[in-house]
Amino acid sequence: MIAHAIFFYVFSVIAVVSAIMVTVSKNTVHSVFFLILDFISISCLFIMIGAEFLGMIMLIVYVGAVAVLFLFVVMMLNVAQQKNQWFVSKDSSRHIPIGLLISVIIFFELIIVIGGWKYKPDLFNSTKSSLENGVSNTHSLGQVLYTDYIHVFQISGMILLIAMIGAIVLTFRQREGVKKQSYLKQISRERTEGVEVLEVASNKGVKIDD
Amino acid sequence: MENLQLVLPEIFLSLSIMFLLILGVFKKNSSRLVQSLSLAVLIVTAVITFNETIGINETKLFNNSIIIDYLSSLMKIITLLAAFLVLTISSNYLKTFQIFKIEYPILILSSVLGMMVMINSNDLIVFYMGLELQSLALYVLATFNRDEIKSSEAGLKYFVLSALSSGLLLYGCSLIYGFSGSTNFNVIADQLNSNEYVLTFGIVFILVGLAFKISAVPFHMWAPDVYEGSPTSVTLFFTMVPKIAALTVFIRFLYVPFLNLIDQWQMILIFLSIASMLFGAIAAIGQTNLKRLVAYSSIGHVGYALAGVAAGTNDGIQSSVIYITIYILMNLGLFSCLLMLKRDNNYYEKIDDLSGLSKNHPMLALSLLIILFSLAGIPPLAGFFAKFYVFKAVIEQSMYFLAIVGLLSTVVAAFYYLRLIKIMYFDEQKEKYDTDHGFWLKFSLTASTLLILIYFIFPSQLIEVVSRINII
Repeated sequence: MIAHAIFFYVFSVIAVVSAIMVTVSKNTVHSVFFLILDFISISCLFIMIGAEFLGMIMLIVYVGAVAVLFLFVVMMLNVAQQKNQWFVSKDSSRHIPIGLLISVIIFFELIIVIGGWKYKPDLFNSTKSSLENGVSNTHSLGQVLYTDYIHVFQISGMILLIAMIGAIVLTFRQREGVKKQSYLKQISRERTEGVEVLEVASNKGVKIDD
Repeated sequence: MENLQLVLPEIFLSLSIMFLLILGVFKKNSSRLVQSLSLAVLIVTAVITFNETIGINETKLFNNSIIIDYLSSLMKIITLLAAFLVLTISSNYLKTFQIFKIEYPILILSSVLGMMVMINSNDLIVFYMGLELQSLALYVLATFNRDEIKSSEAGLKYFVLSALSSGLLLYGCSLIYGFSGSTNFNVIADQLNSNEYVLTFGIVFILVGLAFKISAVPFHMWAPDVYEGSPTSVTLFFTMVPKIAALTVFIRFLYVPFLNLIDQWQMILIFLSIASMLFGAIAAIGQTNLKRLVAYSSIGHVGYALAGVAAGTNDGIQSSVIYITIYILMNLGLFSCLLMLKRDNNYYEKIDDLSGLSKNHPMLALSLLIILFSLAGIPPLAGFFAKFYVFKAVIEQSMYFLAIVGLLSTVVAAFYYLRLIKIMYFDEQKEKYDTDHGFWLKFSLTASTLLILIYFIFPSQLIEVVSRINII
């Protein structure tokens, strides 16, 4: 139990600290790395409460895809200039009231959500959910996904295939005149093709075709 | 699963898509092969659908999330045949622009797969997945001529606006799910009694999303630009095929879960219908580009099809299915003519390019004349009967206002169709167009013109096929 608590506090502290670091670090690339760290520690927290499927999906989707995409975007676009304009230059103060307003709204929304939960404890009753004991999340998800929803599951596979075909159709370009090395051609060259012995007449020279 | 053969068409189509993709990637220069195989796949899928599902009673599969009945089988077959015809006549156009790639038929097949899923759906999740599968392929098709700036613009515009409408649609789905506790159409129907006014919000949002997909006014803004910018063969696909699936979903969605709320959605549907008919008729008058003109005319025609759905009876549904079938036939003919306006590897799509067509190409002009008369709804051509059935169903429900507005907008719409005929027959002639068209282009023009022309001799065939649709 103590080990559980220790792990919980370690991951929570890492999550909170890296979340803060995402916003305060000067370098945007560092921000993205902190974001990845944040996602990883949150997925560890998910795994600790027994939601291992959610944790793994979080790891694959957010860390593996979304955060890496962010990283690419940050590295390719010139974010530093935009940032200077927004946060360092003189008219940056224009953004502060709006930011404050949005923060206050989100804060009150959180209070309403958590307050509702506090005063209406049967809002979400975990004993009601149909998870059997001893069956993991992944297992029970698989049980419905591949039986009741197999049809929809297959169609989503087709949708992903079409998305892939579409991306290739719209962006793939066949380049003309690209010089490629062909090992077979190089190895199978023979002396007779490569070398030609000519009788050079004096005062005339030879014409070598290139 | 003992009823797996009922989803055999979808399974076959998805496997063929993957097979064709691999074939196209590993075999060099296989565009033509993939194209012919895709045509075969469409026909085989239609045959499987016909054999396996057309005669059976209503069956629900996959936890009641998809439904196989006569309506879905019929609509699937119409979709497959329409996609087949589009694919046959588009190859020459694509070759001219050097965009004849293996992905084109594959994307068409996958969007057809999405439409089949939509047509089958008896559940909001399945319906949404089908819709996304279908539109994802359509975005790429709209941008298919990616070196052309207009085509890229069309694709981007379609993508952004369509994503917005998908968002609204999902919001509606979540509202309905929140208040009924299920995404299944039948369960929603059972839950209706208590919270019906709240569900109306959900219906409105979903109708907005659906109306966007079939470009009904006031959610039509994307249609003219996208239709104009996309390659003509893709425009043809846009105007014909997705409307069938979307209409089926309209019918299924309104008549299965929300039949008891008919008073609430009927007004919305009447508004959509009247606005589309009027706007389609009036806005088309000032156009100079034939593809834009077709876009506005398709907005108008969608209005008539929706009028049938608004009637709230089996007759109404049947009439709108007939309407959409005949509309597809007329559009096929119209676009075949458009694809024939070609000179020295250039396609002409301005209205002026039609001038004096009758002197150089009398047969082409005559076919176009018949198709345009039919689109305008002049008896005894097929277009007249399509409108006639819709108005009959509407008047039987004493919705006179809708019928009167529909008739008036037919008169307005006749103006711009007749103007095209006047330009063709009485204006100065221009240079000749090419006459060496492919077999399929000639075939589809001849077949659609003849069918439009002789429909009045045997109208009972189509009515018989459609009269087995029984939703209520």
